[in-house]
Amino acid sequence: MKRGIALFIVLVVLAGSAFAAPAKKYRIFMNPKFTGLSYFEICAEGAKEAAKELGVDFVYTGSEQADVQLQVQSLENIVAQRPDAIIVSAIDLNAVAPPLVRARAMGIKVVSYDADTAMNARDFFCNQMSYEGVARAMLDCALADSPQGGEIAFIAASPTSPNHMAHIRIMTELCKTDPKYKVFKPVATQFAGDDEAKSIDVATNLMQAYPNLKVIISSSAVSAPAAARAIEIVGKVGKVFATGVALPSSIRSYLKDGSEKAFFIWDPAKLGYMSVYVAKAALDGTLVNKVGTKVSCGKLGEFTVGKDGEIVYGRPLIFTPENIDQYNF
Amino acid sequence: MKSIFRSHRWELSIAIMVVLAGVWATTLSPYYLNGQQLLYSSRNLVFTGIMGLGLTLIILTGEMDLSLPSTLAVCTVLLAKSSAAHLPLGLALALIAAVALALGAFNGFLVAKLRLPALAVTLGTSGAYRGLAFIIGSETGYTGFDGTYKWLGSATVGSAAVPVMLFVFIAAVVVFGVIMHFSTFGRRCFAIGNNPMAVTYSGISVVRTKMGTYMIAALGAALGAWIFIGQYGSARGDNADGVILGVITSVVLGGVDINGGRGTVLGVLLSIIFLETLRNGMGLANISGSIQQLIIGALLVSGVLISNFSGRGIFAIRPRKQAKARPWAS
Repeated sequence: MKRGIALFIVLVVLAGSAFAAPAKKYRIFMNPKFTGLSYFEICAEGAKEAAKELGVDFVYTGSEQADVQLQVQSLENIVAQRPDAIIVSAIDLNAVAPPLVRARAMGIKVVSYDADTAMNARDFFCNQMSYEGVARAMLDCALADSPQGGEIAFIAASPTSPNHMAHIRIMTELCKTDPKYKVFKPVATQFAGDDEAKSIDVATNLMQAYPNLKVIISSSAVSAPAAARAIEIVGKVGKVFATGVALPSSIRSYLKDGSEKAFFIWDPAKLGYMSVYVAKAALDGTLVNKVGTKVSCGKLGEFTVGKDGEIVYGRPLIFTPENIDQYNF
Repeated sequence: MKSIFRSHRWELSIAIMVVLAGVWATTLSPYYLNGQQLLYSSRNLVFTGIMGLGLTLIILTGEMDLSLPSTLAVCTVLLAKSSAAHLPLGLALALIAAVALALGAFNGFLVAKLRLPALAVTLGTSGAYRGLAFIIGSETGYTGFDGTYKWLGSATVGSAAVPVMLFVFIAAVVVFGVIMHFSTFGRRCFAIGNNPMAVTYSGISVVRTKMGTYMIAALGAALGAWIFIGQYGSARGDNADGVILGVITSVVLGGVDINGGRGTVLGVLLSIIFLETLRNGMGLANISGSIQQLIIGALLVSGVLISNFSGRGIFAIRPRKQAKARPWAS
């Protein structure tokens, strides 16, 4: 009987091996902040397409929760498998540095996308848009929501997400210096860790703390629709607006029922696609970290390397009630 | 010779499982059976293993502590504050040791002195201490640690790059082993787990022993915190959030009776190694987190089932007079 149970355990465990992934030739691993979010899944779709075009082996793997230690562990697992390149979006730019620095020392190319790592931990950074580009696009969306201006608040993932913090810094500056955005007054910044429930709480608190709040701007694709939901729950539709980065599928209903007027994003599939081309070019040696070098990314065309190895994708999509139906991701 | 094996059936089974897991991991991924890889990934079992050893003492007395990871987080953020304030390492360690002892003593006071149910109490303190960690540390990951702070968790020795923290872990296993099996304190823990009434009537303070287990376990969490910041280089309020399940699994799978009174440090050590072998193998094979959870959960259930048939663990058949209605109260 006991032997039977032991055999059962062995079988359960062997069954798990059926889910193991095979590997050979140029192997590129993509590690998102966490695998649960459709934004990252779509990036991976684009990346898979590029991998097929280029004939490289592609593995998409990561932890299922937005947890710093879990991402570090999954990166260590990836490094132990000696891939040729790693594409990563970091939850905490410094925490992921140790395994990535080791990887680079072993000759593995590291390309960050969406959320950058510490600069010594990667060869190139595929930035979806320049931080200033995002800041301006979000303020433009806020203007569409509330042309007369007013108090605005920001929601970011965490103080250690360099992209979100940069957006907030630049938006705050633009509100002071740029006449177009001078109507806005930033009053608060809160953090919601890319978590939906937390974002709703945070947005609700912001509305309570600042009764004259006009727009909640979120850099996180999880927080923007959550803020719109919070506005609905609290019953302030039409008085407070939510905007920022969001996948069209998550804010379609808000645009259609008129409670929100504009959101924006870049095409995550194209960002993922581009990152694989950049990684392959880095592996082939055709892409060097010098300002002005050009890299060709298949059907997306050419991009130029900027300062500190940053390559900007730079093509925003702004969603309004009029055009939302054109997009189905 | 045969009787040694018979009385250590559980440990032998886990040892066999370790070997099987190693074989399975080797078939799953060609990268597994590599000395460097094994050494490097074994680091992952250290801080949770030390917490597991501390938890074993508590469980032996028939109690539970869910708050150890939260205590660890309080210590990591305190180390961050100390590093930012440029305190010498010794002072910072003394600080977290004192705080950990206080947190453990608080748990011990509620459970042992006031005789509140340990599961409920430590569930509460796990939340409270986690909140404390967030208040002290916030969500900003502190990463600018002074080199001396990070030494224990990141240093290696020799050309084979053996991580120093492995030696710390081995030392912890030896220390806990001595406490559990060769000291009066350990004997008292076993006795309390088996028959707290008899222990009280024989004049030994159950309260003091239980307080001791909570404080020792919390001290273990503090040591884990020091290793943690060296290993990950960052301290945040959410450090080690969610590891308690793995820690309890390693203790229960190690043959420690969850009602108290039975268990060996060897069993816990082997089960720690077994679980880490599994996680390492599955991670290298890129098996998704949910499948890993499923497998580890199935193992826990199987472990309980097997213990049922071998008369150990959660369904151990005990003499009627020792049957307890509320397993968490003495």
